[in-house]
Amino acid sequence: MGKFKETVLNPILKGNPITVLILGICSSLAVTVELKGALVMALSVTVVTGVSSLICSLIRKTIPNRARIIIQLVVVAMMVILVDQFLKGFAYAIDKQLSVYIGLIITNCIVMGRIEAFALGNKPLPSLLDGLANGLGYGLILVIVAFFRELFGSGTLFGIPVLSAIGYTNNGLMILPPMALILLGCIVWVHRSIDKDLQEK
Amino acid sequence: MNTNSNVYTIVYTTVVCVLVAAILAFVSQSLKPMQVANEKAETISQILAAAQFEEQADNNAILNFYKQNISEAILVNADGKKVGSLNTADAQVYSTADLKAQNYNIKDGSACSLPVYIFKNGISVIPVYGAGLWGPVWGYVALDGLNIVGAYFDHSGETPGLGGKIKDDPKFRAQFDGKKLDFSDTHPFDIVKGGAPAGKANAIDAISGATMTSKGLNEAINVWALAYRNYLKNQED
Repeated sequence: MGKFKETVLNPILKGNPITVLILGICSSLAVTVELKGALVMALSVTVVTGVSSLICSLIRKTIPNRARIIIQLVVVAMMVILVDQFLKGFAYAIDKQLSVYIGLIITNCIVMGRIEAFALGNKPLPSLLDGLANGLGYGLILVIVAFFRELFGSGTLFGIPVLSAIGYTNNGLMILPPMALILLGCIVWVHRSIDKDLQEK
Repeated sequence: MNTNSNVYTIVYTTVVCVLVAAILAFVSQSLKPMQVANEKAETISQILAAAQFEEQADNNAILNFYKQNISEAILVNADGKKVGSLNTADAQVYSTADLKAQNYNIKDGSACSLPVYIFKNGISVIPVYGAGLWGPVWGYVALDGLNIVGAYFDHSGETPGLGGKIKDDPKFRAQFDGKKLDFSDTHPFDIVKGGAPAGKANAIDAISGATMTSKGLNEAINVWALAYRNYLKNQED
């Protein structure tokens, strides 16, 4: 049971894909202007990473080694298109909200990274958990960054005026991508000063 | 079994690709009717939103509300002549693909048939379509004569929080209320970077941080307004 706990908790804390593995930086800069978008993106990535890891783990013994990246890509792309198609059919409003994000999931390094590093060498259940947990670890950072960017950039949270209601002047830099990178750097800094194991000697 | 042989690799990859393609084709085909219905309902809800009708709960409510309140939906050409009409009992509307096709017609000067949705309360809604920063932007402008009573815009890929504000920021849309199209001006309508001059009846403020989207939307409105110019003028007289 201890192993399962580690599989789930490690990607969220000590092995966080963004702050420790420095994966998925690109999309975390792009989709963190608003909390709502960040949350839905986090959820979609969690689903795609989880299910793709599960499928790849199920067929891991049959995949020809030389073509494995292509096979992984096909599986991930299929999952992303399926998510998009189902959202378009059953939750059109949410799909509209996500617009470009859905397609961006394919390019998210975390998805392929976890399949390559974990799912191809482990049983289906741990792979599913590992995928889901990595998605959550990614989502956690996304939400933290989006919280600060929306609060100080637009003065709102989930579109509800918070700081702008008390006369705060929006900081335009916060909604531009460079500020996301700076914020991300700060989070990595805080994470590493709390967890001394992560510091390089 | 040798999973590293050439034959195995080629056969395996082919089978996986064909299988995935089959799954995607099947899912896409079986979900198509729902997706098309959703898109149509969305288009109608945007037309209704531009005309300042209250928001409807679901697809059926949107269709019913539209059928009850629409007077007629006609097609006009660049000379302002009626060249056809859309079936209102069936809630037939121009999709964004139709608007895109008409946008080409307008730009290269060939014969176009542009929709005008005329509601029972006298409000006419005309569409606009053009290029934003990352993809198309389109929308609907509700007119009472040449006076703008409301507008609604949408986009396929503008940056959320910046260009996406043409859709998401109610303050941006509210600016259109009470403005008018002025065909005596060089541009019938202006979205001005840095702020519209006070008291100008056919100009509004652009979105800061979204210069290209604002420009694109400005062009879309102007190109389409000029295409409807003769029709709108005939209505005035």
